[in-house]
Amino acid sequence: MAKIERAQKLFLKSLKEKFQGQDVEGETASYFTWGGMAQSPRKQEFIKAARGVEMDRGISMYDPARCHLGGIPLGQRQLMTYEVSQSGVYVEGDDLHFVNNSAMQQFWDDIRRTVIVGMDLAHQTLQKRLGKEVTPETINEYLHILNHAMPGAAVVQEHMVETHPGLVDDCYVKVFTGDDELADDIEPQFLINIEKLFPADQAATLKAATGKSMYQAIHIPTIVSRTCDGGTTSRWSAMQIGMSFIGAYRMCAGEAAVADLSYAAKHAGVVQMASHLPARRARGPNEPGGIKFGLFSDIIQANRKYPKDPARASLEVVGSGVMLFDQIWLGSYMSGGVGFTQYATAAYTDNILDEYTYYGMDYLKDKYGYDHRNPGAEKQVKPTQEIVNDLATEVNLNAMEQYEQYPTLMEDHFGGSQRAGVIAAACGLTCSIGTGNSNAGLNGWYLSMLMHKEGWSRLGFFGYDLQDQCGSANSLSVRPDEGLIGELRGPNYPNYAMNVGHQGEYAAIVGGAHYGRNDAFCYSPLVAITFADPSLKFDFAEPRREFAKGAIREFMPAGERSLIIPSR
Amino acid sequence: MAYKPQYGPGTSAVAENRRRQMNPGVQLEKVRDVTDEDIVLILGHRAPGSAYPTAHPPLAEQQEPDCPIRKIVTATDGAKAGDRVRYIQFTDSMFNAPSQPYQRTYTECYRFRGIDPGTLSGRQIVECRERDLEKYSKFLVETEMFDSARIGIRGATVHGHSLRLAEDGMMFDMLQRCLLGDDGIVRYVKNQIGEPLDRAVAVGKPMDEAWMKKHSTIFHSLVGSAYRDDAEYIEYIQRIHSLRTKYGFMPKE
Repeated sequence: MAKIERAQKLFLKSLKEKFQGQDVEGETASYFTWGGMAQSPRKQEFIKAARGVEMDRGISMYDPARCHLGGIPLGQRQLMTYEVSQSGVYVEGDDLHFVNNSAMQQFWDDIRRTVIVGMDLAHQTLQKRLGKEVTPETINEYLHILNHAMPGAAVVQEHMVETHPGLVDDCYVKVFTGDDELADDIEPQFLINIEKLFPADQAATLKAATGKSMYQAIHIPTIVSRTCDGGTTSRWSAMQIGMSFIGAYRMCAGEAAVADLSYAAKHAGVVQMASHLPARRARGPNEPGGIKFGLFSDIIQANRKYPKDPARASLEVVGSGVMLFDQIWLGSYMSGGVGFTQYATAAYTDNILDEYTYYGMDYLKDKYGYDHRNPGAEKQVKPTQEIVNDLATEVNLNAMEQYEQYPTLMEDHFGGSQRAGVIAAACGLTCSIGTGNSNAGLNGWYLSMLMHKEGWSRLGFFGYDLQDQCGSANSLSVRPDEGLIGELRGPNYPNYAMNVGHQGEYAAIVGGAHYGRNDAFCYSPLVAITFADPSLKFDFAEPRREFAKGAIREFMPAGERSLIIPSR
Repeated sequence: MAYKPQYGPGTSAVAENRRRQMNPGVQLEKVRDVTDEDIVLILGHRAPGSAYPTAHPPLAEQQEPDCPIRKIVTATDGAKAGDRVRYIQFTDSMFNAPSQPYQRTYTECYRFRGIDPGTLSGRQIVECRERDLEKYSKFLVETEMFDSARIGIRGATVHGHSLRLAEDGMMFDMLQRCLLGDDGIVRYVKNQIGEPLDRAVAVGKPMDEAWMKKHSTIFHSLVGSAYRDDAEYIEYIQRIHSLRTKYGFMPKE
């Protein structure tokens, strides 16, 4: 380990913007002169809105002057703004709470309302059991009917209620296949075109992995999955698939073969985005706690857009991962409350994690000759304990020193959990991107945690005592009782289940291992293709930019109810 | 052979300070005087002079089960009396405060009995029987483990450990529980949970920069000792990590 020179300091611009008129390297600051909550336009907006609500409903509400610490409001120090990393957009922290950010909501809505259903089983049933002909023409006709039915329209019956298309406009189905000839015969409106959407080498790999099979990428209405839950997605989808087959192939609605189609759509041929959870955290499929880290890294599409920058691709996974797993899953599903946002945003604001990670990339190139701008499996570093120790130690020490050298940087990440997650993420990403081994990345994470704790005699909240001080023993060496490669771990993996500031970063460490190898996918080619679809409401190639749009109220979500409520 | 604690690795002053604090055989320097009543006021758990509220009758008055552990472990004074379990919580600035969260926990475990410490990034709490707590608190405030400007006694609303210092050198405390007077002495005007005190409690002058650097137990490349420079410390952590990683495959090196 030996410190290398790196001049960029990606966080400096943000610090200068946040701490305007102050020396960002200074050790002292003014306090109690900031005007409390008056310094925040957003808090003022909240106060004004609350007064209106109170007048309207006659029940008291947001009242920080009375309720916060017995009359001492927030803002005795500077209430900072934040730049969403690499977006150039500065926002208030409140704008990054998922309740206040429609893009964050849509990010999760778009995952929860998605299932992938294979068509091969259904086609075999139609052809072999019923003797019907399946051709590109019949498939196109079926897709027309399915895109009529999936949002909630009748196909067979003559007296049925239906859903308003304006309320379910985000619902549709497309298909994809690795068979170029078949793909050419599918109407473009229904096709996810692998060839056009992915870089050539990734497209070739994805097509080979998909083979001649055809899959439906199904997105049920946001409004449905919000009213019900993730477990609804495959059921809603299967019902409309069954009815559409009946309509398209002129089947009898009651004939026994329909059961085969239903079973294929509901069970045998369906790929959920998340597995269901055990009773103690009971949730159905397609809820955040069941998303495997490898699968999540395939949902995020930054590696498709930035194949020559695995660090950038990984950082997008971090940002979206902490938003989903910390802010929504742990912060709300599992815990309730609003505090988790402050932890999570540290990993995707002010380019701090970005700087630490690119330092790791520079170190990899300088010492080991691995150029992250030219990734590839054959160029990677061997994942030995010695190399992991060296990489993680240097990246960890550099990050700690940056916090020390720039006191405003330390103040930006004023909580130990913020710093611990960010520092360890940079270490883990450096190890995984450089070695192409997700467990080496996790092992780098855990060395960082031990080193951080000893250096500053502090780490994060109590939860960091749990997984981070025993993680060395379940990474890099895979023990039968606890070991699992990172790709197959998830938010419900033992020890991972309750701690903020980890899961999004773990997902990125897993993704980074594959981005660093220039792989086309991490876990599932089907998922990687499905979320490349440009018709989705949320752009999964740029999640941080999308969150920034949500924060400044420029993101247009789905599932709105304005059509069926009084106009305001 | 009896176990002899080593207290931790490292060749730096930080490492040595950590070992000194942890080692109960070392008598830490007393740098200020705070009365028993002052401690009770800052803690805020009971009024000075009032009886200790109890959670159970004195051990001598209640039927104890025939338990071999009870015969081995002598109850603390507070446990004997049936005191409530109460707490003191510290916030330690990262700018060379003389103690830091894990360091406090380790030190308390070596030096005190009957305690339940909790360690976070911005605060460290230790809970125990009330009269034991007052004794331990006096030690923690009067010795070189404390500085009146860069260590705060805070039950709630603890932000400050990682923030820049105020222009008067005090660590930020939103509730301003203690203030630096014109005479250079820091006084608590609120107890640790933030309730105003009937009288201010003086906890002495802040120590100077040279003293702080000399007594620091945190590595800091800007204002103190750089972590990177203590190669033995780094090597030791890497070794522990490597052994833990390999243990499943190779129980012996």
